[in-house]
Amino acid sequence: MSRVLPTPLATVVAWRPRRNRQRQILPGFGLTAGYTVAYLGLIVLLPLSAAFLRASELPPEEWLRILLAPRVLAAFRVSLGSALAAAAINAVTGLLIAWVLTRYRFPGRRLLDALVDLPFALPTAVAGIALATLYAPNGWLGRLLAPLGVQVAFHPLGIVVALAFVGLPFVVRTLQPVLGDLDRDLEHAAETLGATRLTIFRRVILPALLPALVTGSALAFSRALGEYGSVIFIAGNIPLVSEIVPLVIMTRLEQFQYPAATVIAVAMLLLSFAMMLGVNLLQLWLQRRTGVRR
Amino acid sequence: MSIRIEQVTKIYQGVPVVNDVTIEIPTGEFFVLLGPSGSGKSTLLRALAGLTPIDHGRMALHERDVTHLPARERGVGLVFQHYALFRHMTVADNIEFALRVRRVKAAERRRRRQELLRLVALEGYDERYPAQLSGGQQQRVAVARALAHEPAVLLLDEPFGALDAKIRVELRDTVRAVQRRLGMTTILVTHDQEEAFSLADRIGVMQMGRLLETGSPEQLYRTPATRFVATFLGAANLFLGDISGRGLQLGSATIAPGRAGIAAAAGSQAVLVVRPEDIEIAAADTTPRSRHFARGSVASLAFAGHQQHAVVRLDHRSGIEPAVADAHDPDAAVTIQVLRSATEQAQLPVQVGMAVELGVRRVHALPTPISSFHVVTADATAARALQESPLLLQLTRSMQARVRVHAAVAPEERLDAGVVVLPLGDGAVAAIFALIAQSARRILCIPPGSALPGRIRVHAGGEVPRSELLALVSSVMRHLPVEAGFVSLQRPAASRSEVVEAHRELLDARAELRGGHGLDLRTEGYVGDLSGWVQEIAALPDPTLLVLGLPSTPAALTGRLHGELASLFEAGARLPLLLAVGAGATRSSDRVSAAAGERP
Repeated sequence: MSRVLPTPLATVVAWRPRRNRQRQILPGFGLTAGYTVAYLGLIVLLPLSAAFLRASELPPEEWLRILLAPRVLAAFRVSLGSALAAAAINAVTGLLIAWVLTRYRFPGRRLLDALVDLPFALPTAVAGIALATLYAPNGWLGRLLAPLGVQVAFHPLGIVVALAFVGLPFVVRTLQPVLGDLDRDLEHAAETLGATRLTIFRRVILPALLPALVTGSALAFSRALGEYGSVIFIAGNIPLVSEIVPLVIMTRLEQFQYPAATVIAVAMLLLSFAMMLGVNLLQLWLQRRTGVRR
Repeated sequence: MSIRIEQVTKIYQGVPVVNDVTIEIPTGEFFVLLGPSGSGKSTLLRALAGLTPIDHGRMALHERDVTHLPARERGVGLVFQHYALFRHMTVADNIEFALRVRRVKAAERRRRRQELLRLVALEGYDERYPAQLSGGQQQRVAVARALAHEPAVLLLDEPFGALDAKIRVELRDTVRAVQRRLGMTTILVTHDQEEAFSLADRIGVMQMGRLLETGSPEQLYRTPATRFVATFLGAANLFLGDISGRGLQLGSATIAPGRAGIAAAAGSQAVLVVRPEDIEIAAADTTPRSRHFARGSVASLAFAGHQQHAVVRLDHRSGIEPAVADAHDPDAAVTIQVLRSATEQAQLPVQVGMAVELGVRRVHALPTPISSFHVVTADATAARALQESPLLLQLTRSMQARVRVHAAVAPEERLDAGVVVLPLGDGAVAAIFALIAQSARRILCIPPGSALPGRIRVHAGGEVPRSELLALVSSVMRHLPVEAGFVSLQRPAASRSEVVEAHRELLDARAELRGGHGLDLRTEGYVGDLSGWVQEIAALPDPTLLVLGLPSTPAALTGRLHGELASLFEAGARLPLLLAVGAGATRSSDRVSAAAGERP
């Protein structure tokens, strides 16, 4: 305890009891924090930084050449566009499903509730194959849609369908607890104050659900961005039309173009990270607005 | 009248959670609905706000029938226990919500908002979010929000329940001041008796879906009509007292028959309410300044600030009988609660174990004729079965009334106190004759193994004065959570005047029950004769408790029991019966002389 303190003021500051030193129920902050950092480093950061290292071997001109290739740009467009579309669809349908599951009591509700988790449990390749057979021009649904001029399988639309399937549970499962905790008296209060049902939904319920809805949709979006298994079966993988970024990376790997693959991967990574950061900032702003301090 | 609630009934899973409630609240009144949780008070308030549909009845606000209007068109202001503020809106937006949905101009909204914030003493809080306010401040915002659209009435659902004691009192004063200032007709729901006393112009006490009693706080405290209200609003000692020609007997004290409350008591036995502060403790072998009624010894003392709680164990020879059953030990010594002021403590300090004389300053007799239950049967198993029958259990539990079992009744013993209970079955008719000969006035016949009745039906019959019958009916209605109805009969070939008479009987019965007891019931006209009606009721899937008047003269009684009502006593009959016996002219004089003879 022979720390040299430069000024008397610092002494005062240093002696103030530290606020974080509340007694924890479970002991061992040092051990658990160390483990957390080591684990995250090993599992998450190490592989990612390997990719960065590998990509940095290439000069910047080479980076631009790889990323600006029409096929790669098209793949980014398809990946981002379909992930966004799927997240938007899931935000709407997920809200509806969560609403029905929490607000109503009906026979078969538990079964329906369990069904929501199926996309989690199913190998996504299985889902892709099932969707492809269903929506193929000679499949059950595809046959009905073909005369209308709507093509789903082997078309970007098919990608959206597959991604909507994969992302649905994220929205439903994040909304359900929030919706369940939502005080019904809020609606009652709005009703006695003269609000119509539409106003109640728009001005009372939706704002209360918005943070959870944003979180759920963001999770669904990021899941969709990385999805591979289900998409490659239904997309048809036509270059420039229905090829997604993960497939482009796979193709590069199969052609032993490892640097190119890593460059695309790193670009994808940065893009995802930027979007996640954006969503978190939006989230923070939403919480600030309601004055809820965490 | 600002608020009219008439026969409002809400049935939930077959049980009426709000049961034929009728209330009229004049403009500007602060009305408090008081009751334990589950008594239906919140349901009634939400029904009035339009948030809960009702099964029967009508509601009007300022003479506008709102029974079928949705909540948003009723124009009520509702305040919730957990504030229900919109958390994503500022205080200003919360208060302006009702104005915004009505498309009021911004300038007008701002003016109104500032006025309301001033009213609830929260000026300058406009831009805060609810999460930045304390509980008390949030509830103030909720009150301001509920008043923004100038509602017809203000409804408060346990608004102080979530606040701590000090804030609660502060906010209570604010709410009262705002209500006075605006002259706003207000209903507040609470389970807190102190809160009700401090706020209410009038209190309505609810229990099991019924509005038990309505009155000013003082009325309800000093002259309650039921055991429940007597004990729910403050502490009370409940005793049984005998009423005779000379007056009412409580231990060694005789209270003149003309005194308020005692005159209203029906029957020969009354339930007496003695508040702890109305009992005087005097030193042994001295005469208390008030009326002496018993002796005892101090069992325990407790400090309560400037007052002192004492429990006095009564001398077993005092002859005082508690009106409330002690479930644990029916033979335990009778104790009495006393509350002593600082002056009394100074005049006579007492210690535990000290022998004392007890005086009573004020006694109130409940108007219920059901002071106690007397099971009369020689068969011990039948007696136990009766005591465990759902009907008697429900009545005794909710009334907290005592049940006595009489294996044998001496021929000269009088049975006109309380209600005589006997099993319905073989020999029931003969037993009823015998009981009436021994001056039994109220007889409850319970079929062995019968379930709790699903409804009550009353038919006067003409032999028993209506006021007497309704006193009995009101007591039963308050303690059975089922629908009650009054029935008049008319012959199929009734003349015009007979039809008018039958209708008038219904209207009069309902008016008298509402006026005299504050209760409401359904009315039904039946075209046919008594035996036909009785058989029709018996054919309903779930049993009905029938309340019937009976004549007391043997000849008329024989005609009734063996005639029109014979089907009720046949083998397999399953309707519980509550029979009220009219006092014949000879009987009543006989009763007075007998009473005089008892205590010369």
